[in-house]
Amino acid sequence: MTAYSLTQQQEIFRCAAVEASAALSKWLGRPTTIAINTVAALPLPEAVGMLGAGDLPLVACAMHITGPFTGLLVLTCDDTSGLALAEMILAGAGGSGRDWDDLQRSALVETANIIGCAYLNTVARPAESGETDAIMPSPPWFIRDYAAAVMQSIVMTQAISSDKVFLTHSDFAIAGSPVTCSLIFVPEADHAE
Amino acid sequence: MPSEADTRGDKSAFHTNAIGMGEIGVAKGDGSLRTFVGSCVGLALYCQREKVAGLAHIVLPDSKGKGEPAGKYADTAIPEIIRLLEELAGRRSLRLAAKVVGGARMFAFQTGITIGDHNVAAVERILSERGIPVLARCCGGEKGRRMSVDVGTGAIRVETMGFPVELL
Repeated sequence: MTAYSLTQQQEIFRCAAVEASAALSKWLGRPTTIAINTVAALPLPEAVGMLGAGDLPLVACAMHITGPFTGLLVLTCDDTSGLALAEMILAGAGGSGRDWDDLQRSALVETANIIGCAYLNTVARPAESGETDAIMPSPPWFIRDYAAAVMQSIVMTQAISSDKVFLTHSDFAIAGSPVTCSLIFVPEADHAE
Repeated sequence: MPSEADTRGDKSAFHTNAIGMGEIGVAKGDGSLRTFVGSCVGLALYCQREKVAGLAHIVLPDSKGKGEPAGKYADTAIPEIIRLLEELAGRRSLRLAAKVVGGARMFAFQTGITIGDHNVAAVERILSERGIPVLARCCGGEKGRRMSVDVGTGAIRVETMGFPVELL
């Protein structure tokens, strides 16, 4: 997508973020708000640094999107937010330590699945009209790693063909909690034009 | 016993020059150079005699003639880092050695031979063609790495979240 066409589609991505926020709110049973919603073409180093210091640990649930358009849709947050989010879902059934156990990972993966699909359903509507292939997200894949390494891997698909990365970025906040998380969509190079 | 790599974001005790994605850094004397790599490759070249070291954060194996930014591609980053090191050493001939870190497969849905595999292979092939020995490597796997190069000694510190620190 060029910056121009991305700008044209800002309204679609805004609606997708609203749908994702509504899905998150329904999933958690709490009001949520969208703190940041941007569509941008960023130089590689800026894109890699958009979530903060590179040496901070970041958890990410990534879905590979195939179909009429392809790319990566990734839910990210820091440990504090991620573990608090898991606690809301599991209501004490998960561990209480600072390390991620299987249940906590599963809770975040399911959250990514729910809000990711809500986001994609909105983004896909114009793309699927007249298309025979449906948008297909892969199951979310959980990783916990240095923020810089995670972001490099997310933007790699476009780094192949460009020194700038076109992406959408939405931050969600959950009422009455310190939890914030980001949903990032990076179309693959073939579909970023 | 090596300490475990930073898992909670505490700041490095080193005074370092951070090298970003697709960038090259060189230094002489002391201090260190640092970068993060996932599927990218961190290539350290150093000459212990002249106490010069360089670090390239290589993103892709082949520039396909594009060439800019030089640090982004294996085929352009390696000649460029050598040129910068020779310049830093006052154009004296250098006895270079290499250490290679990175080339991970960060997401499980990346199957087959990945960009990380291609990056490592390209770097090693070009170094071999130039007669530069690779003295150590820490490549592959599914985790990102924080890589620090000690300019004075060429020693590499590799931190992988949740794993012991490796010294190369």
